Amino acid sequence: MKRYLITFLIFFLVTFTWIRCAKNFPVDEDGLLITTRGQCYVGNFELLGADFQTVRTTSAVIDTTAQTINTIVFYGTDLKNLYPQFSLVTDAKLDPKITGKVDFSDLTNPKKYTVISGNRQVKKTYTVYITVQPKP
Amino acid sequence: MQRKYFSLITVMLAVIIYSSCKEEDYSLPLGKTGLNNDCIKRTLGPNIVGTNIEFAYAMALPKAEGKIVSAQVEASIAGATGTYLEYRSFYTNSSGVDVGITVGSPSVTTDKITLVAFTKDTCAATLRYFYTVPEAARGGSVSFTFSATSSNGMTVSYKMGPYAITSMDMKLDLVATDNKACYLSIADMALYDATTAVANAGKIDLVYLYRSIPGITFTHALVSPAANPEYLPGITLPAGVNKSSKMSKTWALNDFNLARLQYGIYIDDADFKVVDFTNAPNYVLNLKAQAGTWVETADGKYRAYIYINAVNNTTPSMTISIKRFLMQ
Repeated sequence: MKRYLITFLIFFLVTFTWIRCAKNFPVDEDGLLITTRGQCYVGNFELLGADFQTVRTTSAVIDTTAQTINTIVFYGTDLKNLYPQFSLVTDAKLDPKITGKVDFSDLTNPKKYTVISGNRQVKKTYTVYITVQPKP
Repeated sequence: MQRKYFSLITVMLAVIIYSSCKEEDYSLPLGKTGLNNDCIKRTLGPNIVGTNIEFAYAMALPKAEGKIVSAQVEASIAGATGTYLEYRSFYTNSSGVDVGITVGSPSVTTDKITLVAFTKDTCAATLRYFYTVPEAARGGSVSFTFSATSSNGMTVSYKMGPYAITSMDMKLDLVATDNKACYLSIADMALYDATTAVANAGKIDLVYLYRSIPGITFTHALVSPAANPEYLPGITLPAGVNKSSKMSKTWALNDFNLARLQYGIYIDDADFKVVDFTNAPNYVLNLKAQAGTWVETADGKYRAYIYINAVNNTTPSMTISIKRFLMQ
């Protein structure tokens, strides 16, 4: 009986140790998984007003070569209180992070966001150009 | 060692089997004797001055023991005009309609007490109580004592509350019309036309306008008099109308009190205190039904939530309902 118990304990400890010593998956400073993906681009861009409704008049034009995003917003849009939303390629992340309202009112200095690939090796900075629908 | 374990497991199994297999005798539950009562609050959300708080008060005793003689409610603060206790006992029929059966004479309210004297020989009834929140209760709390008396001399009572009464005010279904009743005062919770706005110039916070401009989406708008004139096309402001209110547009914040739709959303006093007006604009354009806007008056005295009940593009107008909170 005692022999069985000791055998079982040794087997359990060996299994536990083996699992604990397996190679860890790497994570970055945000606790996000670093993968092997090198793709780095914005797939879609949305801009929401304070009421969480879109302020775009048409779909945003994303140029992944020039790394620009161009969008036209409704006349009278309050540019100081907007929520941008980026759809990124799998495993990529955005810098700076979007944590709340963003002030886009300085149209001469458009906001820039950097997309970082899943392997954290590629970085591409996109510039967001906003045009307010002109009054005829 | 093995025998020791075997004995222990045997004893445990015996205990489990014995406790699981114990037969429980069933007996029919007995009804309560004497006069009994119960009460529920039917209204949800904040209790606002001028609105009703509704309760359903049920009372019953076995038929052999007697009948109900009277029912009454005592509020800690006397209700405003319109407070009453139903003299009909309601049941819901198969179509879902509430049907009232008269059991007494209409209620009589004397100060804090509202009483119904039963005129029918009945041993069970559920009466509804409507307490119209008085001005005296604003910002305080109110509680209620429901009681019933039966012919055998028994009396029962049931305490409800205390319930907090909000500080805010509410105004429903104001109709703003373009170029007419288009000057909104949060302080008065009223709309003025160009003529009456002059006399109340210091209290005008917003201007309502509707514009159908090709190429842009302007439609129904609420704009501060001091906003960029670009957002007040064709408007000549009355003398002295020059305030700038901060605004934050919302969508589908269908407060139940204002919208009176199926959504169980309620804006309470606390909500006004947490709205962030930092960098807020002084205008909102393109308003639609079920949209709304938080507003802070130029002096910071009031914060309000304006809900858009309906819009009309043909005869440019907008029906709005307002909840207003005094900040200072």
